[in-house]
Amino acid sequence: MTAIARMAMLDLRTVAPYSSQGLLIFGAEILLFANKPTVLLPVLVLLFTSTLTANPFNIADKANLETLYAVLPLSRRSVVFGHYAWALACFLATATVGAPLAVLFARAQHVPFDGRTLVTVLTLSWALFALNVAIQFPLLIRLGYSRTNYLASVLPSVVVVGVVYRMHLNVPSVRSWLPLILWVAGAVAIVASAAVTLAVDRKRVRYRPPAHDDRPGRQQSADR
Amino acid sequence: MRVVLSNSSGVPLYQQIKEQVGTAILSGELAEGDALPSVRALARDLRISIITTTRAYTELAAEGFIATVPGKGAYVLPLDSALVREQLLRQVEDGLQTALDAARRAGLQRDDLIQILDGLIQAERHDAGSGVPSDSGAVR
Amino acid sequence: MRSDLAFALRGVGTAVSGTFALRDVSFELPTGYVMGLIGANGAGKTTTIRCLLGMRPIDTGEIELLGHRLPGPVDLRQDVGVVFDHAHLVGDWRLVQVERTLRPFYERWDGVRYRQLLDEFGLDLRAKVKDLSRGMSMKLMIAVALSHHARLLVFDEPTSGLDPVARDELVGIIGDFLLDEGRSVLFSTHITADLDRIGDYVTLIHDGRIVRTGTKDELLDAYRVVRGGPDDLSGAVGVQLIGVRRTSTGAQALVRTEEADLLGGNVLIEAPTLEEIAVHVGARVPRRSPDPGAESHRDADPHPAAEPHHGAGPDHGAGPDHGASRHEPDSSMSTKGIA
Repeated sequence: MTAIARMAMLDLRTVAPYSSQGLLIFGAEILLFANKPTVLLPVLVLLFTSTLTANPFNIADKANLETLYAVLPLSRRSVVFGHYAWALACFLATATVGAPLAVLFARAQHVPFDGRTLVTVLTLSWALFALNVAIQFPLLIRLGYSRTNYLASVLPSVVVVGVVYRMHLNVPSVRSWLPLILWVAGAVAIVASAAVTLAVDRKRVRYRPPAHDDRPGRQQSADR
Repeated sequence: MRVVLSNSSGVPLYQQIKEQVGTAILSGELAEGDALPSVRALARDLRISIITTTRAYTELAAEGFIATVPGKGAYVLPLDSALVREQLLRQVEDGLQTALDAARRAGLQRDDLIQILDGLIQAERHDAGSGVPSDSGAVR
Repeated sequence: MRSDLAFALRGVGTAVSGTFALRDVSFELPTGYVMGLIGANGAGKTTTIRCLLGMRPIDTGEIELLGHRLPGPVDLRQDVGVVFDHAHLVGDWRLVQVERTLRPFYERWDGVRYRQLLDEFGLDLRAKVKDLSRGMSMKLMIAVALSHHARLLVFDEPTSGLDPVARDELVGIIGDFLLDEGRSVLFSTHITADLDRIGDYVTLIHDGRIVRTGTKDELLDAYRVVRGGPDDLSGAVGVQLIGVRRTSTGAQALVRTEEADLLGGNVLIEAPTLEEIAVHVGARVPRRSPDPGAESHRDADPHPAAEPHHGAGPDHGAGPDHGASRHEPDSSMSTKGIA
C-alpha cells in the first residue's frame, strides 16, 4: 500500500465511526430521488459526496489529527494527495452504488434509460464532483474545516449552481456535447487543484534552511 | 542485592548505593561472582537516573569491588584482602575524625579521648554478642 | 553527524510574526538517557518540542534528530514516539480501531506488544478514546509509541494533569523503556519533582532562551540557595543574586556556587532543588520593555525596591512560591554597595 493509499485509508477510518449516520442519509437521499432516475446520481454527488469528502476534515479539526499527520511517517505530499485520493474513492463509491440504482429505478418506472444516458449522467456527476472538490480541497487542506466551513460549503455550491445555470448544463445538453471533454476537464481541475493545494500547503509547513551565522561560540549559561 | 535509599539523609544517592553495595560485599552478603543488576535495571528499580547508578557502579569498579560488563550488568569481584583492609582502615579513620571534631568542640583533650576509647573497648568486651562494628555511614 | 546523540539543537531560532519565540536554542541529549526540559508555562517548551519534531519551521540554526539533519527522511518518524498533552486520535475510535488505523503506517508495528501493553496499563481494547481519563490516554499514546518500537520518546507536559499514582507509573514506564540503551526520552514539564530522581539531563528554558543545560548534577552543583536576614544578602561584592525574594524576616536568592562563599558568615548556603532553581531563574526579568501581559508578572512589582514588604509573615523558610514575598531582578552587587 502506498503512502497516498494509506492516507486515504486514514480518512476512511476517520469517518468510519460515523458511517451508520452517513448511510442513513445516503439511503434517504436515494429514496427521495428514486422517482427521478436521470438526476439521481448528479444529485447524490452534489448532496452526499460533497459532504462526505469534507467529513474527515471536520473530524480532524475536532480530534487534532493534524498533529497525528505530522507525527506519522507520512510526507506532507502524501497527506495532501491522500485527501484527494479519498475524494476520488468517495466518487467511485457513489457512482458504483448510484448508477446501477438509477438504471434499476428507471426500469421499474419504465423511464427510458439507455447506455448513452448512463454515460451522460456519469459525465455530469463527474463534472460536478470535480468542480466541487477542486474548489473545496485547497481551502480545507490549507485552512482546516472550522475556518473554511462556511466558505468551503457555500463556494462550490454557488459556483456549481452558477455553472449549471449559465451553461444550461442539464442531461440533454450534456448528451449533445462530447462527454470526453467534461471528463478531461474534471480531471484537469482536480490535478490543478491538488497542485495548488500542495503549493499553498508547502508555504504553511515551510522549512527554511538554516541561515549560517558566523557568530562565535554561543554561551549557554545564566549570565547574559 | 538490597539497596534502600534515603531522600533526606543528605548523602548523595550514588554514594548511598556505593556504600550499601560495598558494605554488602565486605560483609559477605554478596559473594564473589554474584551478579548485580545492570545500571539501567537498577535505575529503573530505584526510580533514579541512569547517570546516578552508572556513577555508583563506576566508583565501585574503580575501587575493585565489582566488574561491569558493558550492556549486560556487573558482578562481584573476588575480595582482595589488602583492599578490604584499606576500606576498613578508611572507615576507622573517618569515624575517628568525626569523633575528633566533636571532641574539639566539647573541649576534650587527648587523654580524655583515649579514656573514652578504652571505655568503649571494655564495654564491647562485656557485650560478647555484638561483634560487628556499627557502620555510621550506612543508612538504616 | 554523530550517531551517539538522540538529538541536538544548534542555535535554533523561530519567530512568530516578527517576535522570537525561541532564540539561539542549543542543547543535546546523548542516546540512552532521559532529559527534562523545564521552564514556566510559556517559556517555550512546547515550541522547542514542535521544532525538534519538524512540526514547526525554524528560522535559524539546525536540528539533528537520530542522526539526521532535519528535515530528514519521512521514515525518521518510524523511530519517534510522541505523547502530547492531548491525544491526537479520533474520540470515537475504539482502541482496536486505533491499532487498525495506525498499524499500516509503521514498518515495525507489533500488535502483540500493543495488546500486552494495553493489558498491562489496564486499558480495554473495546474502550473509546474519548472515554479515557487523562492518564489513560497518555498511556494509550505510550502504548502506541512502544508498539512501533520508537527509539526516542518525546513527551510534552506528560504529568501536568496526572495524579501522583499515575505520575509514579509513568516514571516506571520510562525506566522500563530505557532498559535498552539505544533509547532516549525527552520530556517537558513544569513539575520538577518528576525529574529530581529520574532525570539524567536537564535543560532549563526561560523566555525562549536556554538558561542552562547539562546533567542534572551539573545543574544542581552550579547553584546554591542562600538565605539570610533582610539585609544579609545585600552589599556583597561580585555576587549576582538571581531572583532575590525579600520579606520582612529575611531574603532568599540563588547564586552561582563559586560566588556563594563571598556572602559572609551570616548567610545560610544550601544545595538547591530543581524547583528552587526553576523558580529563581524564572523570576529573572526579561530585558525588554515592560509588558503588562507578559508572563513574568512577579517582576512587575509596584513597590519601590528597598522597602521591605509589609505584612509578611514569619514564613521566610517556606516554599518558594508563598504569597507574601517578592522577586527582584538580578541585583548585581559587583559595583554598588561598597563603602
